[in-house]
Amino acid sequence: MSMFRAKKLDLGCFVNARVIRDHTKRKVFAEHEAERQALRYIIRNMELPARTRAQAQLELSQMHCYTRSTQISNRCTEGGKGRGVLRDFKMTRFNFRLNALKGLIPGVKKGIW
Amino acid sequence: MTTQIIRSLRRVTATPIPTASLALTTQYTPTISPPFLCRRMSTSPFRTELPVVEAPPLTTEPSSPAYLNDVRLPRAVQAVYLRPLRREATYDVPACDLQLRSYSIRNLEFFSDFALRAAYYLNLPAYGPVPLPRILERWTVPKAHFIHKKSQENFERKTHRRLIQIKDGHPETVEIWLAFLQKHAYYGIGMKANVWNYEGLGLGATMEKRAMDMKGDLDQRWALLGLEKGKISAEEAIEAINRESSRAQFGGKTPRLPDTE
Repeated sequence: MSMFRAKKLDLGCFVNARVIRDHTKRKVFAEHEAERQALRYIIRNMELPARTRAQAQLELSQMHCYTRSTQISNRCTEGGKGRGVLRDFKMTRFNFRLNALKGLIPGVKKGIW
Repeated sequence: MTTQIIRSLRRVTATPIPTASLALTTQYTPTISPPFLCRRMSTSPFRTELPVVEAPPLTTEPSSPAYLNDVRLPRAVQAVYLRPLRREATYDVPACDLQLRSYSIRNLEFFSDFALRAAYYLNLPAYGPVPLPRILERWTVPKAHFIHKKSQENFERKTHRRLIQIKDGHPETVEIWLAFLQKHAYYGIGMKANVWNYEGLGLGATMEKRAMDMKGDLDQRWALLGLEKGKISAEEAIEAINRESSRAQFGGKTPRLPDTE
């Protein structure tokens, strides 16, 4: 969403639309995390009046979808791909292989056993 | 004449110690050297004193350049060629566990050696390096960027670990040691330290006293938790949520909750 997007590019890795989108979602989620947790706490607290809890529920469901953690997905820092990303290296399998063979990833070697 | 013979005999039997000639001339094949060789030669792992070797008789004039070849290196420099010296622990009370991790054994061995020497000069009894089990991670990825799942490639990363334990160390000295190691951190080596602190005797009494001192503060905190039913009412909770300070925690973005009717 354009209202959340940074006015100036604030990323140093490979950039395409999906990478920027994911990055924006991460920032928005981090910004609103405390608020979400507070509302979740109110909703689950049995000691609070029902009306308050219902209002908090409404409030939570009306928050923007970018504030949800489930919107975030890992993307490759080298090619922006969304599938087959190795969590350890933030890279897709193929980019990982290329870098590993070049010796750019510390400690990673061809496995021989 | 006799003394001359005895001296020469001693020179043969005693452990050879590098002299300045070793360091100065390049053609000379070193009789001692790399620490790995010496490791096998030394007998006791806990040797705290250097072997005392009598200086060879000076055959040259102090003014001549050959004189330099006969000068014995300072003890501290000699020690570099030998296994790291160690202090003995008297009480065997663990003070610090330092874990070193690296992908390369060579760097790891070098730095653990350095850490042991640093501990010796800080008067810390150090034990180790204990080789901990290495961590092996493996990844299998297809060779091709698209399909062809049948031809894959394996990659692995071995993390080697060493443990150095400090015993009987004063917490401050241990901290100095750790700071020194951090200052001279070697490339490609990660460090992790567990430090133990000990209380004096009569801990129960001091803890009791501390607890009593904090009781007033603690009661206030407990009162906020609302663990006990009936202590806090819904109105009080809403008031607490609406309070400016708590709203400020969330950036003042949450809506004010309406008071209960």
